[in-house]
Amino acid sequence: MPDLLRRLLRTPQGAIGLAIILAALVMAIAGTSIAPYSPEQFHPRARFGGPSAAFWLGTDQFGRDLFSRLLAGARATLFYALAATLLGTAAGAVLGTLSAFLGGLVDEVLMRIVDAVMAIPNLLFTLLIVTVLGASGVNALIAIGIAFTPGMARVTRSVALTVRRQDYVAAAIARGESSGYIVLREMLPNVVGPIVVEATIRVAFAVMALATLSFLGLGAQPPSSEWGLMVAEARPYLFRNAWMMIVPGFAIALVAIAFNLFGDGLRDALNPRT
Amino acid sequence: MSIVLSVTDYSLTYAGGAQALIGVSLAIPRGRVLGVVGESGSGKTSLAYAIMRYLPAGAVEAGGPIRLGETDLRTLSQAQMREIRGARIGMVFQDPSASLNPTLTLGEQLIEVLTRHKGLRGAEARDRAEALLVRVGLRDPAAMLRRYPHEASGGEKQRVVIASAFAAEPECLLLDEPTTALDVITARQILDLFAELQAETGVAALYISHDLALVSRVADRVTVLHRGRVVEEDAADEVFRAPREDYTRRLVAAVPRPDVRLVADTPDTTAAPLLAAEDMTVRYGRPSLFRRAPQTTGARDVSLLVRPGEILGVVGESGSGKSTIARALAGLNPFEGAVRLGARRIERTSAMDRAYRRAVQIVFQHPDASLNPRHSIGRILSRPLALYGAPEGVGRGDAIAALLEEVQLPASYARRYPHQLSGGETQRVAIARAFAARPSLVICDEITSSLDVSIQAQVIALLLRLRERLGTAYLFITHDLNLVRQIAHRIAVMYRGELVELSDAGTLGGPASHDYTRALLQAVPTPAGV
Amino acid sequence: MSASYLARRLLSIVFTVLVVSLLVFGITQVLPADAAVMLLGENATPEQLAAVRTRLGLDQPVWWQYLRWIGGVVRGDLGTSLETGLPVAGEMLTALGRSLLLAALSLLLMLVIAIPLGVIAALRRGKPADVAIGLGSYVGVSMPEFVTATLVLITLGHPEVGLLPATGYVPLTENFGEGLSRLVLPVLTVSVILVAHVARMVRSELVDVLGTDYVRAARLKGLSPRRVLFRHALRNALLPTITIVALDVGYLLGGIIVVEEIFAFPGIGRALIVAIQQRDLPSIQAGALIMATTYALANLCADIAYAALDKRIRYA
Repeated sequence: MPDLLRRLLRTPQGAIGLAIILAALVMAIAGTSIAPYSPEQFHPRARFGGPSAAFWLGTDQFGRDLFSRLLAGARATLFYALAATLLGTAAGAVLGTLSAFLGGLVDEVLMRIVDAVMAIPNLLFTLLIVTVLGASGVNALIAIGIAFTPGMARVTRSVALTVRRQDYVAAAIARGESSGYIVLREMLPNVVGPIVVEATIRVAFAVMALATLSFLGLGAQPPSSEWGLMVAEARPYLFRNAWMMIVPGFAIALVAIAFNLFGDGLRDALNPRT
Repeated sequence: MSIVLSVTDYSLTYAGGAQALIGVSLAIPRGRVLGVVGESGSGKTSLAYAIMRYLPAGAVEAGGPIRLGETDLRTLSQAQMREIRGARIGMVFQDPSASLNPTLTLGEQLIEVLTRHKGLRGAEARDRAEALLVRVGLRDPAAMLRRYPHEASGGEKQRVVIASAFAAEPECLLLDEPTTALDVITARQILDLFAELQAETGVAALYISHDLALVSRVADRVTVLHRGRVVEEDAADEVFRAPREDYTRRLVAAVPRPDVRLVADTPDTTAAPLLAAEDMTVRYGRPSLFRRAPQTTGARDVSLLVRPGEILGVVGESGSGKSTIARALAGLNPFEGAVRLGARRIERTSAMDRAYRRAVQIVFQHPDASLNPRHSIGRILSRPLALYGAPEGVGRGDAIAALLEEVQLPASYARRYPHQLSGGETQRVAIARAFAARPSLVICDEITSSLDVSIQAQVIALLLRLRERLGTAYLFITHDLNLVRQIAHRIAVMYRGELVELSDAGTLGGPASHDYTRALLQAVPTPAGV
Repeated sequence: MSASYLARRLLSIVFTVLVVSLLVFGITQVLPADAAVMLLGENATPEQLAAVRTRLGLDQPVWWQYLRWIGGVVRGDLGTSLETGLPVAGEMLTALGRSLLLAALSLLLMLVIAIPLGVIAALRRGKPADVAIGLGSYVGVSMPEFVTATLVLITLGHPEVGLLPATGYVPLTENFGEGLSRLVLPVLTVSVILVAHVARMVRSELVDVLGTDYVRAARLKGLSPRRVLFRHALRNALLPTITIVALDVGYLLGGIIVVEEIFAFPGIGRALIVAIQQRDLPSIQAGALIMATTYALANLCADIAYAALDKRIRYA
């Protein structure tokens, strides 16, 4: 593991991505406890403020401190995105491995269905699920997780099949290893790498999708300060105080960039031959 | 005699600091062929690209000129070099499937040279291209011009590449392993074609190859490269017959020669067979839900047997079914027919139990693919020990050290990972893994074909030593006829999925032999002087 | 490419649409919405409700309702909107037409920008231009459409700047200039993510192709750099990009939902959001089905284009 970290930090993408993600995680964990104000506190005389010494990132239409709201909302954005990705990855990995392992008719039918489901544009699929479940942050999380599942199943299956064809797996079969050993010890360590990379990059998508759902009013509900919701609430005041939109919008983009960078760095670091 | 191409005291260092060439000198007169021989890392390919002035950014050159006729190529700009490449120096590459653009017709790729360097267009260019294709022995040239690379065979493609190399009537030709990717018989035809064209046009040629036996047949003189230096240069048969330098002597000694047997004993022909394939047929491809995929037959009705302690060679070109049989015997492909291990008859892969798996081990062609990249060498070697038990009274760690020692690797390698080892070393690990189960038969599937010739010789010596000590039988699959004739007791010849011949190594190619076997034997370049 | 391949591909699209229809129908069945109540309002009597349910077939078993619905779809009848009482099909297809205009313009703009960017980055590998394009593409793929859209709004669409009308839609047939100017901001927004993604793909494909033996062989034949790039390298690098672009149509359709909502563009995405907000089941079903079918057809077009351009693939 320290070896992997060293290799990761050697790539500029990995180092920058990791730094931003760590900073975001600290923000999310510490959250309101390091915020200068309560995210709900009104400052009637400081409405629509730009960045200042008192309010670092400005204030909204009620004079609430944008920085404090950003910190409070980090949890709803970041943790939910991670959880959604984890859900989709786990479900997809099980489905994909099963499909690759069972092969034959089961594999074929399963993959046809996965392909068909993937013919629904991802955001549309997520929207439909949220519509059924009802608009809330947790439901948005679940919907994104479900919407990720078919894609992750495809990726897992193709990685598993590639690994399955390797000579070291053939060598294990020829030497009489049990199926359990082959799947868990020979294949899994080689399958996990690419899936972790794929999942990392998908966290970026999850952050964006979560924020988009909140923006459309189908995710986190007020008074939450989920970042997408912050942008939505800023919409009527776009031309009065652009900071209200720029601050959360920039935060979303930055976290998504970080996961994209981190994923690319991880891909390089996980390749044992480089 | 006018010198067409000369390189004088030339050195090349790559951006990372790796010295590719050190003080290399050579000269090729008109009408002559200079062979350049070396193992991987010798700098032979770098030499070709240095002459073509096609070097990566950051390469540092030193020393004397690279002259084509009177021109010092090193003083030319890239734009000036473009007037020379393909026009005054032609080049033929190793793998025609890779060096031809898959999405352009063969015709376009030939005609573009004529357009670029001869200014030919339209019907004139097409007529000239057809004439060239006829010259390189292709029937129906008009049809060939319209084909895409994937619609032509390997030999046909290489003929097209040769045609485009000769298209602009160059004075010099660089050939970089032009037959290595081809099957034996096709390779021989390409070699004959080259020799014919070379004699006819009087082109000066630099022929690069790892295959000393082949080069000694093609070239007038041979230059031996080792780690970027010229070790020796002499007339072709002299290099082979009387190498002066130590390195050359070792290289020559490592080249398989069919007249030098490495195995003296003969197995007991009255002994009961150890392993036998009976009417074995292997099919690929599974029917799908939506379409019935046509099944291809990898091998058809193959019967052969291996006696205890015997080395049975299996030869054939790619796609002949030799590896298919190997994988079926190792329980990796479903098969029809039967396998007999001692007295037991096995009719399906699932019936190959622990005893069978232990008795029959397999070593694959690419060692870096057959060792799990995420497992340490120690862990890789511990698996067969865990499955089949370490020798009595020996701990796991000691057993692994003993295995490594057996294949002449230091015990400290147990902590390393496959990518930290060289190709020869990883193949030794794979061999150690096979022997850890103390098998009675080891299937060797092209195990030396990705290795340099000197490494190959070491691996072969290792195999023979292990057999001497343990009495293991080998099913030795290879495309290298010279090699197999050195070590095998009997040789099976496969062609298009069928076993066409199975005879003693000594009588192979005799009057009773199959036509294909004789064609194969004739095509193999044996070292000069043999 | 043979007719039987085409037939098989079309068959698989039918299968896809079938699965999607099941899924969409299933999802809308679970929705906590009572069509009868929605039609008649809260004050309807139980008798009235029962009558409407019978008329709509809501008292039938679910599988029967599905068959009725899908039977209608096959005949081109996508149902009647609970909200407006009008047939859904006409409305949705008109909206789809507007969205397709938006999508086509975005794809066009994307190709015009992304391919040159990718080529420049690949040719200047490791140089400042490559690094800049690489960084830009990271930013591009990491900005959700609603962020890009609002950014575009407060800059180009700012009323004080008065450069471009921010929202709304005017048919091109009515007033070409006005209609086009209202398309600029949505098209720009949708393109950003696509440009970033495709430029990256083009770069990495071209870098791979430039490293192949056949490109080296072409150079060593003395061909001009232009011919090597355009005739030998670019063609092969752009082939896989076709598939990527087709997959991006999925993003595009998703992105269009958000962008249409923000710019008040009356396309299918906005129609769908409205339908979801109003729980107008027939409209939701129709909109989702139309979008999925469009996406499946886009992928089919990509496959056909790929097969036509790549001579290696022969679909038997």
